[in-house]
Amino acid sequence: MKISYNWLKNYIDLDPVEHSPEVLTEVLPLLGFDIETSDALGPPQLENVVVGKVLEFGQHPNADRLRCCKVSTGVEGEVHSIVCGAKNFSEGDHVMVALPGAVLPGDFTIKKSKLRGEPSEGMMCSSKELQIGQDHDGILILERDVPLGTALNDLYSDGDTVFDLEITPNRVDVLCHLGVARELSARFGIPVKYPEVTSATENPANGKPLLSGVEVVAEEACPHYTAICIEGVQVGPSPKWLREALEATGQRPINNIVDITNYILHETCQPLHAFDAAKIEGGKLIVRSANEAEKITTLDGVERTLSDSMAVIADAERPLVIAGVMGSVDAEVDHSTTDIILEAAYFDARSIRSTARKLNLSSDSSYRFERGVDPKGLTYAALRAVDLILQVAGGTVQGDRIEVGTEPPIQTAISLRPDQVRRFIGFEVADAEIQAVLESLELSVSIHDEPDGSKCWEVSIPSFRGDLQREVDLIEEFIRVYGTDKIPQSDVVARGISLDDHRIYTVNESMAAYLSGQNFNEAYLYSLRDPDEIQFFFGEESDKLLALDNPLQSDQSHLRPSLVPGLLDVLQLNAARATGATRFFERGRVFRAVNGRMMELVSVGFVLVADSVERSWKEREQPDFYTARSLSQNLLELAGQSSAKLDFHPIEDCRLWQGGQSAYAGDFERMGFEATCGLLNIATLKERWDIATPVLAGSLLMTPKFFERKSKHGRHTGISNQPASSKDLALIVDQSVLSGQVQSNVARFAKKSAQGFDCEGVRVFDLYEGEGLPEGKKSLALSMTFRAADRTLKDKEVNAAFEAIQKLIIEKTDYQIRK
Amino acid sequence: MQEKLQEILTEVREKAPALVTRADFEAFKATISGPNGALTQTMKEMGRVPKEEKPALGRLINEVKGQISSLFDAVIERLEAAELAERLGPAIDPTLPLPDPDRGILHPIAQVREEIVSLFRRIGFSVAEATEVETEHYCFDALNIPADHPARDMQDSYYLPSDLDVANVARHEQEKYLLRTHTSTVQIRTMLKESPPIRIIAPGRCFRRDTPDATHSANFHQVEGLYVDKDVTLLDLKATLDYFVKSIFGPSARTRLRPSFFPFTEPSFEMDFYSPNLGKLSNRWLEIMGCGMVDPEVFKSVGIDPQVYTGYAFGMGIERIAMILQGVDDIRYYYQNDVRFLRQFA
Repeated sequence: MKISYNWLKNYIDLDPVEHSPEVLTEVLPLLGFDIETSDALGPPQLENVVVGKVLEFGQHPNADRLRCCKVSTGVEGEVHSIVCGAKNFSEGDHVMVALPGAVLPGDFTIKKSKLRGEPSEGMMCSSKELQIGQDHDGILILERDVPLGTALNDLYSDGDTVFDLEITPNRVDVLCHLGVARELSARFGIPVKYPEVTSATENPANGKPLLSGVEVVAEEACPHYTAICIEGVQVGPSPKWLREALEATGQRPINNIVDITNYILHETCQPLHAFDAAKIEGGKLIVRSANEAEKITTLDGVERTLSDSMAVIADAERPLVIAGVMGSVDAEVDHSTTDIILEAAYFDARSIRSTARKLNLSSDSSYRFERGVDPKGLTYAALRAVDLILQVAGGTVQGDRIEVGTEPPIQTAISLRPDQVRRFIGFEVADAEIQAVLESLELSVSIHDEPDGSKCWEVSIPSFRGDLQREVDLIEEFIRVYGTDKIPQSDVVARGISLDDHRIYTVNESMAAYLSGQNFNEAYLYSLRDPDEIQFFFGEESDKLLALDNPLQSDQSHLRPSLVPGLLDVLQLNAARATGATRFFERGRVFRAVNGRMMELVSVGFVLVADSVERSWKEREQPDFYTARSLSQNLLELAGQSSAKLDFHPIEDCRLWQGGQSAYAGDFERMGFEATCGLLNIATLKERWDIATPVLAGSLLMTPKFFERKSKHGRHTGISNQPASSKDLALIVDQSVLSGQVQSNVARFAKKSAQGFDCEGVRVFDLYEGEGLPEGKKSLALSMTFRAADRTLKDKEVNAAFEAIQKLIIEKTDYQIRK
Repeated sequence: MQEKLQEILTEVREKAPALVTRADFEAFKATISGPNGALTQTMKEMGRVPKEEKPALGRLINEVKGQISSLFDAVIERLEAAELAERLGPAIDPTLPLPDPDRGILHPIAQVREEIVSLFRRIGFSVAEATEVETEHYCFDALNIPADHPARDMQDSYYLPSDLDVANVARHEQEKYLLRTHTSTVQIRTMLKESPPIRIIAPGRCFRRDTPDATHSANFHQVEGLYVDKDVTLLDLKATLDYFVKSIFGPSARTRLRPSFFPFTEPSFEMDFYSPNLGKLSNRWLEIMGCGMVDPEVFKSVGIDPQVYTGYAFGMGIERIAMILQGVDDIRYYYQNDVRFLRQFA
């Protein structure tokens, strides 16, 4: 919201040094009003920019948007032909003209030229082009009594500073110059000068009523409506002070009546509306709900379709204003207007907010109403507007003010315990200081002593501070105005840690440390992915369960079920840019369809190019499935999942993983995790990522619940110091039989067969396929280690166990013992 | 016999240095000290030597034997050294490029997150986690953000379909799921689970429905802090955040608490900092985080008595801090993962 320093000075005596614009730049943010921009206004010294008069104009023969104008600058016999793109002027208007030779801000030199074939000997300027205002929509129109030929710098002598303030949504009362003045008053201790209103409405003329009455049907949207009739106004351009005020704050002057309503809004925060009385059909205003699909063309020239949840101010025939939002072109005050109705009303914030949002239309008025304006503020604003209208445009007040409804009730007092203030802020301040701060904000304090001796104050709240409702709100007001810069420096209070770091976090940290130690670079990717990818890899159910309700971009419409596709994007990008990087990982959340429901999972994924093309003076063995499995297993160990309990199953057919070259272990339901690793699908990689080299990957998915597992303390069971004894055995099995299966069978048999001693382990140490073996068979060599707790094992007993194991193998399996 | 011994010694002296393999050596050694070796044969003649010559000759034999033995030791030593040299190969060139990939690096955002988290862990905060999928209740209502607040608009947050059921994210009632817009949800989830004192720091991913540009990204990261106890004050908040800013941006950084408004804190502030050492961003106030004292309404929503407990909370964007610290001017660089970019933060 734009606040002009000059305008502000009407309400508070700011010292040019002590309270200069520079000082305000420091002070306003610390009061809670951050400054987005601060612009020094006022024209630079400009030569050849003078007041001119539009004698006549006509359509440019070769350009629809341009006009050819004849302009006089008061020099006898001199008429300047000027081509102009603006449309907001009429014949006879006084304007600022930059003549050839003028250099406008931004080093823009005005020359005689031709525009689309028509001569142009100068330029009519907007206020922004001259740096005296913000308006750039049209040229600057001056009052008609400004003498022609007056130089710009004689007309605009003093500069201004305009702050664009960011006002938080709770502080509607500061969305105006008086509001900002109040805040500065509290900080600087200078009183606010509220403009006095005269009693112009107290003795109205009793002529023919302009309005037979106001009927409020939509009471909920409009609890309080007032209207004042003024007869015989002279509509015309606003005086200089009014125009400058509006232009400085980025508003475009329209005519004196409309400008005054806008001025009052930016002075008091109360939106007003002026109707041309002659345009009200049936002589009566009705505040009602819009009819479904009712049409209105608002002042911005857009035809809008209303719905029955919106309130309008209508006459007998049509809606004239979307209540609290924007007027229509139908009852606009224009040059022909003589009698006006001035509306000052209180509209319900919710209703305005919903209307403005549905219409996607925000105005200065709706912006304030939807934040909740001062419920008692409309009378002052209306009287103030009447004073200005009578002063600027003449006219007389006709009849009594029409009033329907009443001011909505508000909270008027809050209890405040000064001890609670101190408890909250944590440092000493005297009661008197707290009281002084509150009173500087126009809150009044009455002090009561509680029976227990403590103090409890009753603080009364002015009607414009609807944001103050609780004791804590007053504590905030105290510290805000007292100054956060006065909070003392103190030491950090560091106490013992009461909770462990969450295991998801610590496990993630150790996994990242491990993977970066294994030469993987960490990547960060978006959580939202393309629907086609989800469909392709994860199918219909995932497509349905992972879709967002309101995606912004069609290629980011689904939650990711896996980190792997994103990591492939990274490999692709790095390959395209020839960065040489071949290993990446990511840790993050993924989302899966599990048994018809969506589930959020903690994930870590990695990819590595299996067949690096980088030339090297020394060959290293290329990574393979077992590299990926080893990495995955180690990661699971870091998450507390023992490798001993992992059961990998081969993947046969999958679009993401290469069948026969990848495997998975675990399940969400029973184990709380799923791990997949191995080679990614060669064809898919080529097709979707244009990656021709084989890529290995690992993907771990863990339910958050998985991390709640308590880690158990180990129990010592004694270790034997006796020598071990080992036996080797080779078994011929079908190609398709998994070695893990063979190993666990043999381990079971060994455990059973070792009588009075232990089989410490059975390990597959060799795999042979090919010559000497039948088709479709492979040979696995296993080594078994035996040990007793208390003695050296005798060959005899080991041999007996070995025999027993072989017997069990023959009996219970179809493995063939290789002799 | 003396001559013979001298001959043997001479032969060993002459031939030993020329032996280059262990096999040659063993063969030669056999011709000297093997069962049929020259020395062995000569010593067998000892028996035929007159008694009075025996002591002198004995000494001579021992001396020759000793000399031969040390000549052989020298050969073994030389051969072992040669074998070792052969096994080791030529001396390495310590400057050749490594045949393995470079050590991996943590993502620059992860690095900054870790730095932030460790500064708070040092003063007694522990890390909390919650889900990225959340419900309107935990993301808004419990944080005192009213139903018609703009943040709840479909324009600003990513919602999930209203008929969706998320298996492992608990709902309050039957409210809608969405992707959390801030990590403040962790405050609520933690306060519902733990009782005060609570001192947590919660880093995590958040989502806003923004069109991506240099400073906006569909997902981004925040760190949330919360401290609830019987005597937590504004003074503590300021001390903690001052410590944090000076630790991360250097002791010359100045701070200010600029009053602001958030529904879940009262009073609320934006913390700004000002530093002379930030390159282009030097010597101006930069907004760094939102903070404030926990609003009593928030305490009520999680069943903590605001008459007994007070607390402060703060939240900051990790990307924003990373961009300031690392001099990155476009957030999208972080999500491209060009390794040349990542390596700049190794």
